Amino acid sequence: MPAILEARDLVKRYPVGPRAVDALRGVSLTVDEGEFVAIMGTSGSGKSTMLHLLGGLDRPTSGEVVIDGVNISRLDDEQATLTRRAKTGFVFQFFNLIPLLTVAENVALPFVIAGESWAQHRARVDELLEMVGLAEKAAHRPDQLSAGEQQRVALARALATEPAILLADEPTGNLDYTTGTEILDLLWDSSERLGQTIVLVTHAAHAAAYADRVLVVQDGAILDEIALGRRRDHEARPLIARLAALGL
Amino acid sequence: MRLGDVAWRGLAARPLRTALTVLGVALGVAVLAATLIASQATTETVRRAAQELYGSAELRVRAFDAEGFTPRSVTMLRQIPGVLNAAAVSEKRGQVAVEPDRVFPMLLLGLDPADEELIRPHRVASGTFLDPGQPEGVLLTERWARDNGFGIGDELLLNGRRQGVPPVRVVGLVADTGFGALASGSVMVLNRPFLANAFEIPVPVRYVDLQLAPGRGDEVQAAIDAGFTEPFVIETVADAELQLDRAQAGFAGLAFLFSIVALAVGAFLVANTLGMTVAERTREIGLLRAAGTTSRQVLGIVLRQGAFLALAGSVAGVLLGMLVAVALIAFLQSTRAVLVTGVPFHPGALLLAALLGIAVTLAAAALPALAAARVSPLDALRPSRQPGRRLGDRLPWMAALVGGAVLLGLLAYPLDRGRGSPAGVLLGAGILLAGTLLAAVLLQPTSVVVGRPFEWLFGAEGLLGRANLGRDRVRTALTVGALTIGLAAVVALGSVSASARATADRWVTSILPGGYGVRLGVADEVDAIRPTIEGITGARLATPIVETPAVVIRGGAAHEALLAGIDPTVFQDEGALIFTQGRRSAAFEALRRGGAVLVPEPVAVRDGLSVGEGIEVALPGEPSHRLEVAGVVAYSLPSRGADGALLVSLAEARELFGVTRGELWAVARQPGVPENTFRSAVMETALGLGGQALTAADLADELGRTLGRLVGLFDVLALLAVLIGGLGVVNTLAMGVGERAREIAILRSHGMTVGQVQAMVVAEAAIIGAVGGLAAVGIGLLVAWTTVTLAGPREFAAGLALPWGVLAAVVLLGIGVASVAGIYPARAAARTSITENLRHFE
Repeated sequence: MPAILEARDLVKRYPVGPRAVDALRGVSLTVDEGEFVAIMGTSGSGKSTMLHLLGGLDRPTSGEVVIDGVNISRLDDEQATLTRRAKTGFVFQFFNLIPLLTVAENVALPFVIAGESWAQHRARVDELLEMVGLAEKAAHRPDQLSAGEQQRVALARALATEPAILLADEPTGNLDYTTGTEILDLLWDSSERLGQTIVLVTHAAHAAAYADRVLVVQDGAILDEIALGRRRDHEARPLIARLAALGL
Repeated sequence: MRLGDVAWRGLAARPLRTALTVLGVALGVAVLAATLIASQATTETVRRAAQELYGSAELRVRAFDAEGFTPRSVTMLRQIPGVLNAAAVSEKRGQVAVEPDRVFPMLLLGLDPADEELIRPHRVASGTFLDPGQPEGVLLTERWARDNGFGIGDELLLNGRRQGVPPVRVVGLVADTGFGALASGSVMVLNRPFLANAFEIPVPVRYVDLQLAPGRGDEVQAAIDAGFTEPFVIETVADAELQLDRAQAGFAGLAFLFSIVALAVGAFLVANTLGMTVAERTREIGLLRAAGTTSRQVLGIVLRQGAFLALAGSVAGVLLGMLVAVALIAFLQSTRAVLVTGVPFHPGALLLAALLGIAVTLAAAALPALAAARVSPLDALRPSRQPGRRLGDRLPWMAALVGGAVLLGLLAYPLDRGRGSPAGVLLGAGILLAGTLLAAVLLQPTSVVVGRPFEWLFGAEGLLGRANLGRDRVRTALTVGALTIGLAAVVALGSVSASARATADRWVTSILPGGYGVRLGVADEVDAIRPTIEGITGARLATPIVETPAVVIRGGAAHEALLAGIDPTVFQDEGALIFTQGRRSAAFEALRRGGAVLVPEPVAVRDGLSVGEGIEVALPGEPSHRLEVAGVVAYSLPSRGADGALLVSLAEARELFGVTRGELWAVARQPGVPENTFRSAVMETALGLGGQALTAADLADELGRTLGRLVGLFDVLALLAVLIGGLGVVNTLAMGVGERAREIAILRSHGMTVGQVQAMVVAEAAIIGAVGGLAAVGIGLLVAWTTVTLAGPREFAAGLALPWGVLAAVVLLGIGVASVAGIYPARAAARTSITENLRHFE
């Protein structure tokens, strides 16, 4: 499989008072098309920072990010935004739906932002809502949905434009175990059935166990890389054993 | 740290919002202070002008008719025991020319310098006063001379002067008070003997001012009543004040209305800002409550913030108001629509403005303070602030607040104005404010419709911008409300002004058959002048309008009135006069038969007259004649009072009342004669007679211009209110952008560009402006319609005229002001850091 996402020697440095703190120290990685990669680490390890850089939400202090052949680090804000719009989809911990829009409108938001009529994409929106099991709630507002349902809408929105890569930042972090598992199943389904490339940031082993490969981040660097392979059982125990071996 | 410090820190944490709110209050107080100062200036100017007009004279004996006083009568007045000094004044409306194409209509006043020195002070700003040794020397008002580029030593020609009369020469410039305050400053003061003989028709003495020995007033009046043979009226300083004041009453009412509007907008702004601050700090307040702060203490914190905004805004507002007052009064002087000189900074007015500003601001702070006091300690533990406050929760309070602002204004009203009723002004203010509250209630459905074009125009940004309006309806409603009031005032002014203009057109056309006229300046024998007027090249007809002062006796009471003689056939054929009672043809027929009179509507209303009833009309000292009311007309020829002239036929005027002299001629143009050619011919004839050419269009234009200048002034005040509303938009959107930082970050993460984020916020602002503008059109038209309807059919006979240009401009202005106000929040939104805002939310 060709690489769809490549990071080269990423450094992210934040000024903290008179000093500078390195959130990432020279991270390099490659994600192949259709691959499901999890980035694991403890709180403050730099995993979310890494996701933001990989998705073009932030600029690295040095290093490069190439998404689907486009070096996003060399683009200005406008071009980076357009690339992000075309090639990435995001799912966040706190769902981040627009409260004033209906479920269907939230899913159609990427089209609307792109200046396209969302009626034109009605079929796609219906298909996605069907996929996440919310077809009947298309006209509801976010505050009428449960937390799990809101996250499913967020997932549908992230998949709307068939992005080259889906980036999910602790998508189950605000959900109970059962609801979180439903979201992870959906992510895995999209990877399995649609061949969607996914980068998942999580601190939970049972979530990372859905991935083909797990990158363990500590102190702004990749500590280890654990290849799990594509499995349907999502068994977490082998991963937990490896993490334990790393002292995590 | 003391708990009270939290109040100051709360304000300091949002310096821009605090500064904008202080500025909003300051602008409101400034408008209030400026209008109070300007009102006071007009009152003082009127008093001063009246006193300077009279000087040390106690009585003015005015000739009852246009014939004026004979020299014998003037001498007789001088010789009455108890009269210390007497000053005779002659006057004529005439024209002064520099070159043939530079002609100025002026009030020509003839004075005797020696008498004047004894009676009244003339403030000569430069040059010298009149000198009998220099008969052709004249005085001009300083401002008029400056505006028209004249100075001492300049020579001017009296149009229509007798052969051999030399040019007059400017020897001095007088201040715009006293005689200089008459005729909007278009006054030329001459030596009386020179003026008396400058024209073919002598210019008579119109009044004599008498300085009396102490305590001899009654005795002198009795002597005049007993011995004076010519008809006269006695006037006092109070009469002069009343007459000068009448023209200013509208200004006082309008100024008051705009003070209320500005204050109410300031109140909206304060209520909104503090409401936003409390909402934003709900969690922090909850924490304070959890830590043991009492509701009362929380109330105190927010009220302290309100007090600071009130104090800072009011102090700044008073200072700013003094500057605005200077500009306002300068503008008023330039319009000449209102008599005003000097800028009186009375501490009382300034203190009143500051106190009203503080009171309204504190009242506006009360609801947010109460809301803060109700915050539960549990609010500190909830994940986010409580959404969905309903407008209905705040509406009664807002209604009470604006009602309170009006009441406070009312309390101030009698302190400042001793005249006129505030009822009409109150009604206008009431509709304006109630309409604004209603607009706030209807905001949501309106924004759905109004937002559509913006969705088409801006796409996703327009859609989101419109949707954002529904996020905090109370806040948006208050913002729209604050913007709407000022815009509605502009619409109301524009509509009333257009209606008045349309009515002026009708009025002028209805009383000047043929559309052209010649005013001689002084009355002359109709039969002597007729050949000259009828000889105007291209004239189809010429008809005189004769006038004489008279008295109307009804129910034992006698009223001074003006009686005018017209040719009924000409007036009927030319379609002149608008009848509000009586059939047109029957009324003119009755005039032709004789024994009939047409009465202007104000007289009919005042005396309860209707068609078929009789009135007694007499000249002073002569037997009365019974005339039957044949019709009531909406407009008649202007008289000294506001009533208008009673109209009889020319034959009746001559036979019953002996009036054979007329000052005004109506002239009609032959078909096919070019308008410009005919106008030139009329002008030439008028100048030759020492008079003035008139056209209905020019008169209507002049009325329109005067009205336009006054309306322009109030438009400026209304625009200040719009500016305050604009500050509200900045505050609201800046707050909204801050609250939605995470949402904006999400939109950015999904590919919304910086430009799109900015467009979204500006679209939101523009929709607020459009809703405000459209609501303002509705409310403003309602205010105008009420004004026009309540004023009666005469003042606005043409009904409500819709100024389409103004209406479109107001909607565009609303969109423009709000869009500009949206730029800062839009830039702030564009600077929203995606990662920061995704990271730091719970």
